[in-house]
Amino acid sequence: MLSTKFTPATKLSKAEIDRKWWEIGDFFRRNSLWLLMYCTGCCAIELPPAMTSAYDMERLGMGPMATPRQADILLVSGYLSLKTLRRLIYTYEQMSEPKYVVALGSCPINGGIYHDSHAVINQLDQYIPVDVYVAGCMPNTEAVMNGFVDLMDQIKHKTANGWKKYHAHFEWYKENQRNSLGEVDVHDEFHQ
Amino acid sequence: MMNSINNLELVKKLVNEAAPVIKIEQIDNQQLAFEIEKRDVHHVLTVLKNSGWKQLSYMSAVDWIDANKFELVYVVFNWDKPVYVQIRAMIDRNNPEMDSILPIFPGVKYYEREAHEFFGIAFPGNPDYHKQLILEGWDDLPPLRKDFDPSAYSDRKFPSREYPADFSVVDPKNKSIEKRKERKVRANALRTGGNKQ
Repeated sequence: MLSTKFTPATKLSKAEIDRKWWEIGDFFRRNSLWLLMYCTGCCAIELPPAMTSAYDMERLGMGPMATPRQADILLVSGYLSLKTLRRLIYTYEQMSEPKYVVALGSCPINGGIYHDSHAVINQLDQYIPVDVYVAGCMPNTEAVMNGFVDLMDQIKHKTANGWKKYHAHFEWYKENQRNSLGEVDVHDEFHQ
Repeated sequence: MMNSINNLELVKKLVNEAAPVIKIEQIDNQQLAFEIEKRDVHHVLTVLKNSGWKQLSYMSAVDWIDANKFELVYVVFNWDKPVYVQIRAMIDRNNPEMDSILPIFPGVKYYEREAHEFFGIAFPGNPDYHKQLILEGWDDLPPLRKDFDPSAYSDRKFPSREYPADFSVVDPKNKSIEKRKERKVRANALRTGGNKQ
């Protein structure tokens, strides 16, 4: 007798099989998230307790990753100056898909206390898509952990679609980047 | 026997002999500031360097917009006689220019680039002073000048979030602020026997 648990693959269309595989992939992906910590601002101080034994991010299957190409989450912790934003866009575009962005603190949301600074941008989701915002100045560690759990839920329910949005509205994002940064490319005498 | 008082006297003697001093300010036991003419800066710094103040700790500028002047501040330090010496010189704010002190202190290279970037001061003698250092592709007034408005720049360049609802905490029905004021008045009246003070 056939198991009632699984539908035989022969009766499924290609799109349905793809969807199944994505669901399987998402299951493993959300239980093994690798963080690229882009510690731009003071909210980075919330990460040591989140990573170490106090809150122990590892129990959610999360861990730090050294390179953008192998990371799943780009964690923006705090304010972004124009210079950092250029490097952040580089980093985001280097990451392999699917990729998610978590932004900590009030600075990426609306500028926070740097809302009138000439060097700090006000709103991160104008430049790259953000999946989860954790509000607070700075957010406490429970909120940061909760943000990660929210992201896992979003992946489960297929709503963490920031990276698809970046493809769909690529020109819009690029135009915003150009309007604020002038030029996204880095011209730096120390690297040329 | 050297102590900080002797060191201060030594610095005062050195600078006073080297150039006419407009103003001396003793900030504390280890810091002295001298305001001198722009043309004497190189000489005074050379004298100080030859006397042991061989480390240039910092160089920056201050924008005195009402006086229409920039003030250049050079901070030098001596590792044997611990006194920080500030050499200050006023330069004109319109078309600001100061000859580089690169031959005296090579480490000033990046400080001068920074001052050029943030204040727009030219440093002839420093071959790289006009290159960008911190800001990338800046397209406005130098940002640390007092007549630069960072808020207007931010509004123009960076889109701000628009909120669909007003989330401000001022609630017309919430009288807690008035109640707190009343409580204060009442407590004050009890404390002072009904008098206002």
